[in-house]
Amino acid sequence: MIGYLLRRLVTTIPTLLIVAIAVFLLVRLIPGDPVQVMLGDAADPAQAALLKQQLGLDRPVPIQFLYWLERLAHGDLGHSITNGLPVLPLILERFQVSAVIVLIAVAIAACIAVPAGLIAAWRQNSAVDLIIVGSATLLLSIPSFWLGLLLLLLFGLKLKWLPVVGYVPFSESFAGAALFMVLPVVTLAMIEVGVLTRMARAASIEVLRLEYVTHARAKGVPEWRVLARHVLPNAFAPTWTLIGLVLGHLLGGIAVIETVFTLPGLGRLLVDSIFARDYPVVQGCLLFTALIYVVVNLIVDLCYPLFDPRVAAA
Amino acid sequence: MKKGRRAHWLFAGLVLAALLADAASAGAETLLRARLNADIRSTDPGTNRDANTDGVIAHVVEGLVAFRDDTSVGPMLADSWTVSDDGRTYTFKLRQGVKFHNGAVMSASDVVWSLERWLDPATQWRCLSEFGPSGIARIEKIVAVDPQTVTVTLDQPTALFLPTLARPDCGQTAILHRESVGADGKWIAPIGTGPFKLGEWKRGQYVDVIKFDAYSSRSEPRTGLTGAKTAAVDRVRFNVIPDSAAAKAGLLSGALDVIMSLSIPDMDDLKTRPDVQVSATPSLSMTGLLFQTRDPLLQDARIRRAIALALDMPQIVDVVMEGTAKANNSALPIGSPFHGSVQEQGYQQDLTEAKTLLKAAGYRGQPIKLITNKRYSFVFDAAVLVQEMARAAGINIELEVLDWAAQLDRYNRGDYQAMTFIYSARLDPSLSFEMLTGPKATQPRKVWDNAEAQAMLRQSMLTSDPAKRQALFDEMHRRFIADVPMIVLFNGSELTALRKAVKGYAGWLFPQARFWGVSLQP
Repeated sequence: MIGYLLRRLVTTIPTLLIVAIAVFLLVRLIPGDPVQVMLGDAADPAQAALLKQQLGLDRPVPIQFLYWLERLAHGDLGHSITNGLPVLPLILERFQVSAVIVLIAVAIAACIAVPAGLIAAWRQNSAVDLIIVGSATLLLSIPSFWLGLLLLLLFGLKLKWLPVVGYVPFSESFAGAALFMVLPVVTLAMIEVGVLTRMARAASIEVLRLEYVTHARAKGVPEWRVLARHVLPNAFAPTWTLIGLVLGHLLGGIAVIETVFTLPGLGRLLVDSIFARDYPVVQGCLLFTALIYVVVNLIVDLCYPLFDPRVAAA
Repeated sequence: MKKGRRAHWLFAGLVLAALLADAASAGAETLLRARLNADIRSTDPGTNRDANTDGVIAHVVEGLVAFRDDTSVGPMLADSWTVSDDGRTYTFKLRQGVKFHNGAVMSASDVVWSLERWLDPATQWRCLSEFGPSGIARIEKIVAVDPQTVTVTLDQPTALFLPTLARPDCGQTAILHRESVGADGKWIAPIGTGPFKLGEWKRGQYVDVIKFDAYSSRSEPRTGLTGAKTAAVDRVRFNVIPDSAAAKAGLLSGALDVIMSLSIPDMDDLKTRPDVQVSATPSLSMTGLLFQTRDPLLQDARIRRAIALALDMPQIVDVVMEGTAKANNSALPIGSPFHGSVQEQGYQQDLTEAKTLLKAAGYRGQPIKLITNKRYSFVFDAAVLVQEMARAAGINIELEVLDWAAQLDRYNRGDYQAMTFIYSARLDPSLSFEMLTGPKATQPRKVWDNAEAQAMLRQSMLTSDPAKRQALFDEMHRRFIADVPMIVLFNGSELTALRKAVKGYAGWLFPQARFWGVSLQP
C-alpha cells in the first residue's frame, strides 16, 4: 500500500512540472501585461519601463521562468503584482472559503443523489423514475449563476431570510458564517445533485441486471436488503469516481458561485488575477488547482478498496 | 415531522443569532455601507493604485491643495500660497492645528518629509515622472521656512504644478505622518489628516474607514476634494462586490446603502424603486472613437472625416447613455471651465458629404477593424452604433471585442485601425489634450501626432493666464476637429444609487464618491 502511494506521489511530479511550464507560458501568451493594467490609459513609457524593471518583468521570459521555478522548488510561489502579498498564503486563505462550500455541497449532493439514483434505477421506467430523472436533468440544465441569482432574489430579497452580500468566516461567528453559506452551498449542491443522480442511476441499473441480484431475490432476501447490501456497494464505485472528479474540479474554484454570492474564494481570486494579469497569482492558483486535482483523485483511488474489494485484490 | 421541526428551530435560531449580532453592532455606531466593484490595490496613496484605491484613500489623506467642484485648485492643508515673480517658487502657509490620525500636529517638517518621500524613486510614486527630466518641471528645493511655512522651488515655471499636486491619482501628494512607514522605509499604513482613519482591510471582502474625531475641517462649503469635510457617520464600509446583480440585490435588501458606478440598465430599474434614489452627475471621463493615423487606409483624413460625418452623435449618446450625458466632440469635457462656444463646434451628420469624401479618397469598402470591450458596456454599445451608422454611408466596419487588458495593450502599442475607448477623467485642460497629443514614434499610444499642437500644448502648460490658455485650447480644438485623429463622442456620467435614508450625498465631475458630509437617517 505504502509502495503504491509512493509510486503515485512520484508520478505526480512530472505532471505538476508539465502543468507549471504550460501555465507559465499560457499566462504570458494572453495579450496585455500587468503594468499596463496598473497604469491604465496614462501609461508613460518611462514609468512603465521602470515599473516593469521593479517587478522583474523586463527580463527575458525563460529567465523569468527559471527564477520562478527556483523559488517554486523552495515552496515560494512569489508575490502578487497587484498587492505585493505572498501568493501561497493568499491562495490558502481563499482556498479555505471555497473548500468549505464545496465539501459541504458535494456531501449534501451525494447524500441526495446516491439514494435518488438507486431508487430511480430500482423503479426504472416508472413515474418515480421519471420524476427523479426529470428533476436531475432540470438541475443539470440550469446555469449555476442563474440558479444562484434566483435563490438570492427569493431568500435574500423577497423573504429576507438570508443575507444577500458579504461573508463571515466560521472562525469569527459560526451562526453568521452558516447563514452566509446557506445559499452558495444549496446552489452548488442542487447543480451537483443532477450530475451525481444520473451517474448513480446508470450504475445501479447495470448492477440490478446482474445475476447475483436475481439470485439474492430468488433466495427471498428482502428487497431493501438486496438494494442496500448487494446493489448499493457495487453501484457506488463509479459514482465515487465521479465525486472525486467533481471535487477536484470544484475545489479548483467556483468562480461563478463566489462572484454571485460575493465570497472571497479561490475562483474569484483566479478570475480577478487573470483580468489584472497578475502572473504570479494566476500561476499559483492554476498550479495549486492541479495539485488539488491530483491529490483528490489519489485519495479517491486509495478509498476504492473500501467499496470494491476486487481493487484491493488487484 | 419532529426532525423537520428541529431543523426549523435550528434555522430560526441561526437567523436570530445573526440578526441580534448585527443589531448589537449597528446600535453602537452609524455605518454607511458602500459597494466597490473590485478590491483596492494598497493603502499607499499614489503608488500601487487604481480608481477604487484613490476613492477610498481620499477619505483618509489630504494634500496641500485639492481640486474644487469646478476643477480649479483650492487650498486644503495649505491655508494660502504665493508664487514668486519668476513663477518658480511657491510659498505655502499651512493651516494651524491640523492633526494627524495619531494625534500629532502637522507642521512644515511633515510637509517636507512627505514631499521628499514622494520624490524618492524607492517610493514608486506614480507622478514622480512629472517632476523628472521629461515632466512638467523639476523640484529643486523644498524648505521648511518656519513651522507653518514651506517653500517649493521648481527649475522652471509651470501652470501644472498645483494641479499635479492635487491629482487624485497622485494620491493628492498626501501629507503623511512619518510613522506611516517603518524604520526600514517600508509602507505600513496611512497616518493622514483626513476626516476618516483607515480601519480594517479584509482583502477581497471590505475596507473600513472610521470617523476621525479630532478632524480639523475647513470652513468653506464642501467642494471637490476640499472645503468642509466633516464625517457625519461613524464608519464607512466599502464592500467588495464584483457582480452588479448581487450589488443591486444588496441595495434593495438594505444590506448596502450606496452603489457607485451604476450601469445604465441598473439605473433604469433602480430609479423606479420607492426606497432608492439615483444620482446622475456628468463626469470628466471621455468616450471616443480612436483612429490609427498611420494605418494605410485611415492615414487619409478624408476617410476619418467621412466616418465622423456618418455619425449622428446626439443619437448615439441618447441611446448609449439614456439621457444622462450629452454629445461632445471636444477633448475638453463639457464640465471644464475652458469648454466654451468654440468647443461646441464639432461634427454634424452629413451622409452626402461623407459619401463624397469616401469617393474622393478612393474607398471601395475595405474593412476597418474596430476594437472594443464589454467591461464598459456603453463603450461596446457605442461601437455597435458606430458600425451601423457608418454602414449607411457605405463604410465597412468590423467589430473585434477584446477584454480590457488586451485592448489596453493594443492601445499602448498603437496596434489598431480603430477602437472605441474610454479615457479616465483629467482635471486640467492641458492634461485633457496631453493624453491625446504626442509623437507616435516615442509614444505609440498618442492618437494625435501634430507638432504644432504639441507646441501649443507646451505653451498651455507654462502659462497660468486663463485667457492665454483659453486661446490656446480654442486653437487646438479647431485643429483637432480638422485633423480628425479621433472622434470624441461624449463625456461620461457618474451614476450612483442610494437608499433613501442616505442624506447629503452629491456627485461631482470627478467620478469618485465622497462620504464626508453624508449621513444616515433612521
